[in-house]
Parts: sequence; C-alpha cells; structure tokens
Amino acid sequence: MSGEVILEATDLVKYYPIKTGIIQHTTGHVRAVDGVSFQLHAGETLGVVGESGCGKSTLGRLLVSLENPTSGSVTFEGLDVYKQKGAAMRHLRRDIQIVFQDPYTSLNPRKTVGDIVGEPFDIHPEAAPKGSRQAKVQDLLDMVGLSPEHINRYPHQFSGGQRQRIGVARGIALNPKVLVCDEPVSALDVSVQAQVVNLLEHLQKELGLAYIFIAHDLAVVRHISDRVAVMYLGKIVEMGDEAEIYDHPTHPYTQALLSAVPVPDPTLRGSRQQIMLTGDVPSPANPPSGCRFHTRCWKAPTLDEKDVKDGVPAVCVNAEPELIEHPDGVSSHCSACHFAGELG
Amino acid sequence: MAADDKTYEHLLDVRDLHVEFRMRTGVAKAINGVSFHLNEKETLAILGESGSGKSVTAQAIMGILDSPPGFVTGGEVLFQGVDMLKMPRKARAAMRGPKISMIFQDALSALNPVFPVGWQIAEMFRIHRKTNSSDAMKAAISLMEQVHIPAAKQRFKAYPHQFSGGMRQRIMIAMAIALDPWILIADEPTTALDVTVQAQIMALLKELQDEHDMGLILITHDLGVVANVADRIAVMYAGRLVEMAPVEEVYGQPRHPYTIGLLESVPRLDTKRGGVLPAIGGLPPNLLAMPGGCPFNPRCRFAVDRCRQGTPPPLEALDDGTRFAACWRVDDPEVADEAHRASEGDL
Repeated sequence: MSGEVILEATDLVKYYPIKTGIIQHTTGHVRAVDGVSFQLHAGETLGVVGESGCGKSTLGRLLVSLENPTSGSVTFEGLDVYKQKGAAMRHLRRDIQIVFQDPYTSLNPRKTVGDIVGEPFDIHPEAAPKGSRQAKVQDLLDMVGLSPEHINRYPHQFSGGQRQRIGVARGIALNPKVLVCDEPVSALDVSVQAQVVNLLEHLQKELGLAYIFIAHDLAVVRHISDRVAVMYLGKIVEMGDEAEIYDHPTHPYTQALLSAVPVPDPTLRGSRQQIMLTGDVPSPANPPSGCRFHTRCWKAPTLDEKDVKDGVPAVCVNAEPELIEHPDGVSSHCSACHFAGELG
Repeated sequence: MAADDKTYEHLLDVRDLHVEFRMRTGVAKAINGVSFHLNEKETLAILGESGSGKSVTAQAIMGILDSPPGFVTGGEVLFQGVDMLKMPRKARAAMRGPKISMIFQDALSALNPVFPVGWQIAEMFRIHRKTNSSDAMKAAISLMEQVHIPAAKQRFKAYPHQFSGGMRQRIMIAMAIALDPWILIADEPTTALDVTVQAQIMALLKELQDEHDMGLILITHDLGVVANVADRIAVMYAGRLVEMAPVEEVYGQPRHPYTIGLLESVPRLDTKRGGVLPAIGGLPPNLLAMPGGCPFNPRCRFAVDRCRQGTPPPLEALDDGTRFAACWRVDDPEVADEAHRASEGDL
C-alpha cells in the first residue's frame, strides 16, 4: 500500500502569541503544535486523532502552508515547503490540498458550485485551459457523486453531505498528491458520514491520493487509516500501524482514549474495562512540565518507583519522553512514555 | 418520592403526539403521531439523525416549544396519568424542575453569562421553594459537590465562561436535578464534548439517576452512547418512531430497514472490517416535501410498491409485545435475514 515518502514533517512547531494590554505586548504563547515529526507515504492514509485543543487542526493548516511554522520544516518530494517562493511555491500548493470540517462556512454562499469548484483553476490557470474549465468542473462533480447539472446552484441548495462533496471536489480539482482532510465527516449525520467516507476511499484508489485524515472520531479513523498518530497537547504521543494502535496501544493516554469510546454493542456493557481520566486537558499556553500527560495520567501514580514527585515518578515530571520504539519487546511502534507498555 | 396508590400505568405516557411548524414557506410536520412511554427509573434512548424530530419531541414534552412557529396539533402527554398539554400555563411551568427537567447540548448558551453559576443553581430553590438566599446558596454548593465540581465553595461565584465544557455541563446537570425531578430529559448532553469528558458525564448521569431514582430520556445520535446506557431504544426518522425495543434486541436483531442500515453504516472501534462501509444511500427527507408512502422508502433497499403507496401504521407490536416497528415488510423473511447479518457485522 505505501510507496515512497512524499511528505515529511520534521520537528514542526507553531506558537501563537498571547497579547494583552493596550500596547498588545506578548505575555506568553499558546503552544498549538510543539515538535511534531512524521512521514507520509504515497497513497497511504495517516489518521491524526486527539481531543479538541491538541493541535491537530493547526498541524493540518501548517502542512498546506496556510500557517507558517515557528520552527521546523515540511518537505514535499524532497523540497522544503516553507523555503519555496513564487512559481515554485504555487506549484507546490497544487500538490497539497485541504478539505475543511464545516461544509457550511467553508463554501462562499454567494458563489455558485461551478465557481467554487472552478476557483482553483483561476489561481492555477495552467491546470486547465480556459475553454475546458466547465467540462472539467462537471467531471469533478460527477466524480464526487453530484449531478453535473447542479453547476449553477448555490451552496444553500445542498444538504450538509452534498456540501462536503463540493469541498472534496474543490480539494481534488488540481489533482493533488496529498489531501489534508480536517474533520471532514464530523458535522455530518451517521448515515451520510458513511457515504462521504466511502467517497474518500474510492477517490484515494482512483487517484492514488495520500490522506492526512484529522478527526476526533476514533472509529472512523480506524476504518480509513493505514497508520495513526495520537496527539496530546501539541505532541504526538503514539504513532504506528492502525492495528498496533487500536489493538496494542502502549501509551496510557491512547489506552484511556480508546477505552472511553462507547462501542455500539450492548452485550459488551460492563465487560469493557473503562479507564476514566479525571479533569480536563490542561491549557496549551501553560503545558505541564516533563511528560505533558502526567497531570491526568492514570498509570503514573500506580507505578512503584523510588523517586516520586507530586505522587508520580519524578522522571515523568522532569523529563519529556521521546517518541521512540520501546525495544524491550513491548511494542513495535513508537510511543512517548517513560513507562510504555500494553495493558496488563 | 414513593408513589403510593398509583392510578397511572406509566410515569410518562406520550400518545399520538403531533407537532407542526407553520412557516412562511409552508407547514413542516415535525412530529407525526409519536407514542411511547417511560417507566420509573428507566432509561429510554431516542435515537435519530438531525431533523428526525427527537429534540422537538423533548421540547413538546417539556412545554418549551417555540410557539409560533411550533404548535402541538394533537396527542396527549400524560405525566403520572395527567395530561400536561391540557394544563394551564402556570401549572405547567410549576412542573418544570420538580417533576420533569431537561439538560441541553450546548451548556454555554443554556446558562446565563451575566450571573455566577452558583446563583443560577440557587435560583431553582428561590423560585420553586421560596428558600431564603443563604439556604439556597448552601443547597447550591452541595449540589455542585454532588456533580463533582472541584472546590465548589470557591467556584460558586464564578461565571459560566470560566468553566470548561465538561464543567459547564455538570453545572447544568446540577440545576436540572436540584428539585429532585422524576424525569430528566438529556438532549444530546455529550455531543459537544471530547470523548474522555463524555465518559465522565455519562458516568455522572448514571450515578445521579440511581441516587435520585429518576427516569431518563436520552436523546442522541450516537449509537455507542446508547448501547452503553439505555434500557430501551426508540428510533426516529422523519418525525415518526420507526422502531422501539429493549436495547439488546435493537442491536442484536434490528427489525426496521432504517435501523438495520444505521447499524451497518457505523465503523467499529474494536474491529477493522475494511472495504466499503454499507452506507444508507440518499438523504433524509425534507419535512416540507415528504415522499409519499413510508417516509424512508426512497432510501430503503427493501422498498416495494406498497411502501410507496401507503404510510405504514405507526409502531405495531411484534412478537411478544415488547418490541415495535413501523414497516410494511417487517415480517418478510428477506428483511429479517438482512437484519440478522447486520447484527453479526459480517456484511
């Protein structure tokens, strides 16, 4: 399934300044994305999951250069994305496109579907000669399962699922190699959600797209992804093949997250072990020291360590765990925990 | 709260409820003959997609329908045998809180942003029980502790925006259970929350339900949440109940084609089926332009001529009488066979 590496993020960091007072001086930073590295192979789907505020959407925006990073780099087919200028940059943008979450606000209500889906061709005229544009847009509508006759309709004349199809058509208009999907099905009803997931999978096969699939619905991510990255407070805490992450998670956060998802099967009621996390996600403006999860970790307080601080092992408070494979046979994927291990 | 000489059959009995919205563009029939009941201490889940009428049903029961444009055009809502729809306005208002109360999806907009949360909880006692403010404050703090808000005494004077989403939901729950209601209606209580917080809130609701012996009506679109907490499930589609049964039976052997399709179309967390998700084709109907016959027929893979011509009678009792479905072909072996395969998950 996976070909060569086409997109690689290295130590990607994005801080947003917090400005206060009349003179708007910077008093701190929201560390939305704080050192994220991964590789994306041609034709594969990398799922990115995490709770709200973990930085997964900012990551998506960084990848398509809608935001500039504070530091770090993204290379696409060997080219450093943030160092490109002019025509080279424009060309790069054609290859990495995005589909947004909310199909109600991401489409301009005053433009027809034809204008919306055809707009990429205004910016990149070399992608489609003027005369062939209408036909091209109609092809795109057909590809995403909309009637080509609807080219002159406006977004409000479509349902949520149909609007998301319009967003997808716009995303694939320039024949990109990577499509970043930022919560593409979260706003949709269950029965319509499945249709859009199927469409994305179908297009991937047809066009050989690689997806970054950002979502908070862990079941949908499992269905569509080849590999999965779990984010917490701006960092990837665990990353690996879909089956590894879902069946053999080794990071306590992933374990808690998976156990919190209710499974639609009443016969499993009571038999599934649920790990309850206390409290809310800490503010990314002031993340905890060491391991960022140590304030909510269920595992750290249960460990029998000599050197204890605030009820958890001192190493969790003092040292930030690296995202590494744990060689002592516990797992064959990366996990950022000092005490990574499968549930006993 | 012991019910001595019961003169009623069910705690809440909704009979043939009809609600319509009269708008300039036409009349939308949002609820078309919905009937169900809730017993004491029972959890009934109303499952449906957006526009299916599940929230409108709750609003009609609570008597908080926006009117106009919404009008209850028929039916009865019996609380302990008394029809609430026939009550005078004031008597009805007095029931909201001590008898039935409700929590909403969006706690931020349901709470008043300009008053401290403790004051808002205490208001329940001041208005309904004419409690003096210092006693009301004490009661509010103890409620905040009951819903596990840390440092309740200090946070009494905090404003809604100073709380996280999960904490705001806890405050709304505190207000809802303040007067020890018989029934709590929870309208998508966890939809806006993250999954780890959702688990906390659902556990809290369960705990409070047991403590206060409440009946719970849980309105949601999340098949996972329902499977974990409900005793019975009512599935809604286009303003009608299409299926109602105990939870194991709905998941184990769904009988209505819509329920069958819904269960198939959800990806599972615990297994990877791979391949194409069996999605339900088409879109939910427009309430202003309902299809003829069964409202689900344009999307139904089992639809035959009869389904296009006549609306199936609302919820007929099947088998032993504990389960109901509104479908012309419910006893058809072809449908039953599909249902079995859907529940096995081997499609």
